[in-house]
Parts: sequence; structure tokens; C-alpha cells
Amino acid sequence: MIKIENLYKTFYQEKNESNILININLHIKKGELIILKGISGSGKTTLLSLIAGLDRPSQGKILIENDPISKLPDLFASQLRAKKIGMIFQHFNLFEHLSVNENVTIPLIPSTLSMKEIYKKVDKALELANITHKKSLLASRLSGGEKQRTAIARALVANPDIILCDEPTANLDKENSLLFIQTIERLHNFGKTIVIATHDPLFEDLKLKNRIIPMVNGQIVP
Amino acid sequence: MNEILLSNQVIIYLLSESTLFFLLAIAFIVSIRILLQWDFESFNPIQFTLEKQSYLVTTITLFVFAMKFFLLIYFVFTIDALALLIPGAMCGAGVITANEYGTPLLVLKLSLLALLILWFYMHAYDNRTKNHLYFKQKSWLFLVIFFFIVLELFLDFQYFLAIDTHLPVSCCSALFGQLEGANPLPFGLNISLLLILFYLLYFLVMLTLNLNYKLLYIFSNILFLYIAYYSVVYFFGTYIYQLPTHKCPFCMLQSDYFYVGYFLWASLFLGTFIGISDALSSLWVKKTNLKHQKTVSYLLSLFVLLCTVYIAVYYLNNGVLL
Amino acid sequence: MNSNFWNNAFWHFLTLQLFKERSKHLTVAIISILLLFLLSSVLFISSSIRFSLEETLEAQPDFVISRLQGGVAVPTPLSWSDELLNIYGITKVTPRVYGRYFFQPKEKSFLIVGVDFFEEQSQKNLEKLIKNIDLKSFLKDPQMLVGKGVKEYLAENFYKNEYKFLTPKGKFETIKIFKTLPKETQLIANDMIIMPIDLARNVLGYSEDEVTNISFNVPNPDEWNQINDKISALHYDLQIINKKEVKKSYQTLYNYKGGFFLILFLIVLMTFSLILYQRYNMVYSSEKRHIGLLRALGWSINDVLKLKFMETLIVIISSYIIGVFMAYVFVFILDAPLLKNIFLGGQNLQNSVEFIPVIDMATLSSIFLLYALPFITAVLIPVWRVSVSNPKEAML
Repeated sequence: MIKIENLYKTFYQEKNESNILININLHIKKGELIILKGISGSGKTTLLSLIAGLDRPSQGKILIENDPISKLPDLFASQLRAKKIGMIFQHFNLFEHLSVNENVTIPLIPSTLSMKEIYKKVDKALELANITHKKSLLASRLSGGEKQRTAIARALVANPDIILCDEPTANLDKENSLLFIQTIERLHNFGKTIVIATHDPLFEDLKLKNRIIPMVNGQIVP
Repeated sequence: MNEILLSNQVIIYLLSESTLFFLLAIAFIVSIRILLQWDFESFNPIQFTLEKQSYLVTTITLFVFAMKFFLLIYFVFTIDALALLIPGAMCGAGVITANEYGTPLLVLKLSLLALLILWFYMHAYDNRTKNHLYFKQKSWLFLVIFFFIVLELFLDFQYFLAIDTHLPVSCCSALFGQLEGANPLPFGLNISLLLILFYLLYFLVMLTLNLNYKLLYIFSNILFLYIAYYSVVYFFGTYIYQLPTHKCPFCMLQSDYFYVGYFLWASLFLGTFIGISDALSSLWVKKTNLKHQKTVSYLLSLFVLLCTVYIAVYYLNNGVLL
Repeated sequence: MNSNFWNNAFWHFLTLQLFKERSKHLTVAIISILLLFLLSSVLFISSSIRFSLEETLEAQPDFVISRLQGGVAVPTPLSWSDELLNIYGITKVTPRVYGRYFFQPKEKSFLIVGVDFFEEQSQKNLEKLIKNIDLKSFLKDPQMLVGKGVKEYLAENFYKNEYKFLTPKGKFETIKIFKTLPKETQLIANDMIIMPIDLARNVLGYSEDEVTNISFNVPNPDEWNQINDKISALHYDLQIINKKEVKKSYQTLYNYKGGFFLILFLIVLMTFSLILYQRYNMVYSSEKRHIGLLRALGWSINDVLKLKFMETLIVIISSYIIGVFMAYVFVFILDAPLLKNIFLGGQNLQNSVEFIPVIDMATLSSIFLLYALPFITAVLIPVWRVSVSNPKEAML
């Protein structure tokens, strides 16, 4: 599903080079649950953004179902992203001035779907994330857990095969974190490929079959 | 100071042309840089910057493209309005021929439009490839377009600066009228042969368009354009003006004739340019676009229909032809 | 390209975005509306004036001949009209008497126009001016028709119903005011006095065989040049002017005034564009995170460009509509106080005109071009810059 080969990412800042990712090789199969473990600065966020095609590598290949997302023109990359990848961010990243419903609709706006189909998908996603009862509420009025659930709904609305989560529980209390993990379990059962970048110890002890990939200083620790 | 230059519309027109030129000049500079360093396969951060900058070039070009259409109509309108200030001119024909820059300017504008439509096709096809396959060719075409625009701006100013409102010009009847013994029609044709050729070519164009004989289509469409121009000026036009001696491509743009000239010329030129661009680009990328072919058919048929209707109406009203 | 991009969700989202940033858009919109208002008002006034002028000029005779002495106009011999009648292709030969009468001590002047009310031709020419006049009672006594400006001026100086003209011969000629001229003619008739031709002769000091000039028509436009040459050759001191030249010189005059204003306006426009550029650069930089987020959620650069362009277009179009509408009300309903003096200056009496509504495609598209093109140009680079912003920003 996701193949990463010889991936390097280097930042250039005023003649200083900093190697964020060094020689990443990773093969993620369909339906797998991957935990990228490492402290902040270990490069896991950068790796996620590269997988999503939000940034370009300095070297190497990333293939999403054999599509080289790192080397596609923006038109194709964004289509790929829209159809196959759902993202959940550390700080939720919702549009505060929009309602839950509107926030979840956003990924579908550029699509070719009719309004009816869009609303159907949105309703389904809201249900999955258990936030239907708050759908008309402004995002600024939600609690942390509710915001996270909105973000989940948004990530699911296009029914993507891959879900990428960047420190999803960093801004949640324990109760909500556990709820989040429950949602992940559900998604895993649906067959979604899930990659979570986190250093939350809660993820070390999951009941589900998962693969933990530790990262240190931009490299995968074997 | 030349009074023409102080007319509102001319000032606004020249300002608009200059603004568009300014934008395109920016795009030009960026384009050069892109062309020099473009390498789609590389992972160099410079390449990614170039890809972002190519969006600037295409956004500017698309905007200029849209505006050029509008400005062409505005230009024609302005020329028509200026007929008032130039002695002897009754319509745009006199104004355009007021100095030696006018006709080249008009021809250049039409050619530019054709090139822009071609660029648009190239851009659309290039965008659909996963590795910007036609990027370099598209950029070279852009450079050609830029060169034309520089020329156009130069001619714009030269033309308006050189109009002398004290010098009388010939009216369309002198320009297009039949001089003793001289036949203005191409290839030494007479009117009936011209007409036969007109309709024959139209059918040939429709045929080759729908049967996908691209090269033959391009050739016949260009020929059709050429013959159609003469047919309209020397035959169909006389039915629009209902006067056998009134031959002019510009007068039909005036309100007296319900601005039918705009529809006539627009359908002809648009149909031709779109059709040829579509054919050229699909020859080159080996794809066809049925929807565009349909549009072209409609446009050209509209043109022929308009021409024929005027004759039919006149005949029905008067029982005879001119 | 997704054809369904223009679906309700898009417009809904666009509206919400606009609303969120409304304070920033509003400032731009207000300045735009002011500029558009100014520009449209000026263009409306000038096209309205041009229209009125053309209307009036159409009724004018095609040619006017007069006598020059040393380059200065002097009374024209009435006998010249006989010579004109002999020339083939000329119709409606009309001798005319008119001139300026100076009202001392204020140094104001009126235009006195003498009309032979029995002649069919004069009636036709001044049809508009003398409609609804009961000629019989008018011609009974020495009476005159006055323009609105004249009436007001005389009233100010305590001449309510009549005026005592001082003729060059030293005598006084008392003429009563019969009626005021209709308001549509105000543009040219504001400081005009119309009276029977013999009265005019007295007031202006012409003898019986003299006139100010002679007008005539040439129905066939192809013959104008010929006739022009023929008549100029009749007398060495004969000057001939044709209607087209008059039209052209008026047109040129208004072009000159309008063009001058426009060039000044251009400077304002440039400043506006620079301000726009800077402003939108600022506005958009603060939006970088949001745009990055949209891209992270699957929006392509093209989609973002569309969003931003539509935003701009909405601001442009709504400002345009409001600005033009306000100008319409200002010029055609309120008669453009203050502004009209720029255009109607140079005449002796204060011109109180009502502008006839004239809206045409040329004016509207000129306004739109002059406003929308620099606007979009100024905004284009900031729009691009924000649309290609790095989606990675959303991760931070």
C-alpha cells in the first residue's frame, strides 16, 4: 500500500543543512496499523507530511498504491490526497468560524459529487465519529474531545483508505484519548491503513495487531 | 496633442493594453527562468519553486487571455466611435485605414487570439499529464505570444498617435467598392463561383471535422476563413445593408444593423481558431475532444446560417435578389 | 476540471470566508465604491452632455456662411442668400440675425436670436424651443422668449416682465418677456433670448439688408465637399463652416476636458493599485495557515486559486454595481451639484441643467475596464502567492 524507498529529507537554512530524515525504508501493507514512535524532533511529523504529499523529499520515493505521490504535479497529488488520504492533526486544525457540519464538508467541495451525495457522506462521517448531535455547533464552542471527533469525521468523509494521525492525543485528556483509541480500533476493523505518529505511551499497549516503528534523529531504529 | 488620444475610450484602451503587457512581462521573466532550469524529475528545491512559479505564469496568461477577448471587442467599438472625429470616415473601415498601422494591428490582434487559444489547448493537455510532458513546448509558445504582444503594444500606440484628425480618409465605399476593371476577389473568381466555393468549403470543413481527418480539416478551415471573408464583404454584407453597392466588413458592427457583425465575425473566427487549435494539438498529443468538435460545428454552422438567412429574408421580402 | 465545483457548498464556504474577513474586504470595497462613484459620475455627465449636444446639433443646419473683414466676422449681405438659391443641391437657405447683448454694468451678456416666425424653415429649426407658443399673441407686441438663466438674472436685477434694451443707435427698445424656454433646451438656451427678427435687428444694430449669417442644408452628404468649394469661391470674404466641424470641435473640447480628468484619475488609480497590492499581501499572509490546511485536505492549487479569484470578483462586482448606481442617482436624479461646473464652466450665466439619463455599453464597459483591470492586476500576485503556500504549514 505505502512503499517508502531510500527517503531523505534535508532542510537548507542559510547554508546550514539539517538532515531531518535519513534513509527511510518502509513498507506498509494494506490494513496495517503503524505507530511511529519517537520524541519530538525525531522526524515523524515530517515523514507523515511526506507520505501525504504535503512536502517533497530531497531524495527517494514514496508510492501510494504505486502512485509516486512525491513526484506528481499538484493536480494529481491533490486528487490522490483527497481520495485516498485522511489526516488528523495535533492541534485539530478546524475552521473555528465554521460549524462542525461545514468543517466536515470542506474536503468534498472540490469533488465532482452532487450536493445530495456530499451531504450523505458528511452525515455518515459524523455518525462514525459520534459527533452528529453537535453538527450545527460552531467549532470554537467545542470541547477538546469534540474537536478531535470533528477532525476524525473530516478525515473520514471521503472514505479514504489511509488515515494519518499526527500526535492525535497530545491535546486530549486521558478519557478522550481512550475514546480516540477506540475509534482507531473501529477504523482498523474497517480495513483502513492507519499510521499514527505519537510519543503517547498509551499507544504502546494496544490490543490490536500493530507495528511499532521507533524513530530517532530521523532514522528508523531497527 | 492628438485629440484622439484624449478620448476616454482610447485612453482606457491603451491603459488596459499596457497593464496586460506589464503582467505578461512579469510572466515572461519568470518563464525564461523556468525554461532555463526546468527539470521535472529532479528533487531540487529549486524545481519545486519553479513548479510554483509556473502557476503564476499560467494564471497571468489565462487572465490576459480572457481580457484580450474583451479588449478586442472594446477596440472595435472604440474604432467605430472614432469615425465621428475623422473626416470622411463613416465606419470603422475608414478609421482603421487612417494610417499604415491600423490593418496590421487588427490582423495581429486576430492572430494573437488564435495563438492564445492554441496555448490554452496546450496548457490543458499539459496539465493532464503526470509529468508535465508538454511543458517546454507550451513555454516556447508563450514566448512567441509574448513577442507578438510586444509588437501589438507598439502598434497600438503607433496607430493611435499617428491618426491625424485633419486628414480625410476613404470611406468603405472607396475602400471596398468595385474599381473599374479590377476584381477584388481572390483567384480571379466571380461572385457565383465564390459562393459555390464558400458552401463547398463549409461542407468539406464539417465533413473533415466530424470524420477526424485532421490535416485536411485544418487546411480546408483556413481556406474557408479566407473565402468567407470575401464572401461576407462582397456578397452577404450587401444583403445585410440591403444595398448592392455597400461592401464593408465594419459597418455591420454598428447599431443600425443590430450589431450582427459581432455575431458573424465572432462565430467565424472563434469557430476557426478553436477548431484549428483543437486539431493541431490533438494531432500532436494524439487525443481527440468530441465536445470541442461539436462546439466548432455549432459556431461555423451559426456563421453560415446567419449569412444565408439574410439572403433568404431579403428574397422572401422582395421576390428578387440584389 | 471539476464541473461541479460551482456547487452550493463552494458558494456557502466562499460566503462564510468573505464574512469572516469582512472588515478587510470592506475597507477595500468602500474605497473602490468612492473611486467608482467619482469616475462614473464624470463619465455619465460627459456622455449625457454629448448626447444633448448631438441632439441639438442634429437639428442645426448643415452649413453656415458669414462675411469676414480682416479675419473678423462682420454683417453678412442679405443678397448672398439669393446667390445660394441658385446653386443646385442646396436647400433651406435661411438668413439669421443674432448676437450678444451686454448687460451693463454687470458685464454679463445674453445671446439674442432673431427668428423670422413666418418662415417655415426657422420654425423647423427652433421647433423645440418655440413649441407651445401662441404665435399670434406673441407677435402682437414687442415680446421675447427667454432662457431660464436670463429670466432669473433679470428678476435678480428687478426686471420682472420686460427689459429696456439700449440699441447701438442710442435708442431704447422695450421688449416684454412672453415665456421661458422649455427645460430640455437648457444646455444651449440658458442664456438665450429669442425675438422676432426685426426686433433683433434693432437691438443689435443691423440694417435691413444685413444679417449675421446665412445657413443652409445639403441633403446629399457626398456633395458636401463640392458645395463647400463652390461657395467659398463665390466671394473672397466669405467664410463657410459645416456642421460636422462644429460637432467635431465640441467633441474635441469635451474629449479634452474628459481626457484631462482621466489622466489625473489614472494617478489616483495607480496609488489605489499599490495600496491594494500591499493590503492583499498582508491579508493573505495571515491566511497562509488556512490555505495550507485546505491543501492538506485535498484542495489543489487550482481550487484555491478559484476560491481566491471568486472572492476578489465578488468584491469587484458588488463595488462596481453600488458605485455606478450611486453615480446614476447623483448625476441623473440630483443633477450632480459641484461636479457639473467642471464641465459646464466657460459660459456667462450659471448653467442650471438637468442631465438627461444616457447609459450605454461603451461607458459601462469603460468604467468596468478602468476599475476591474488594475484591481485584478494588483491582486493577482498576492492571490498566487497565497494559493501556492506550503501545505506543510498546516502541520505546525
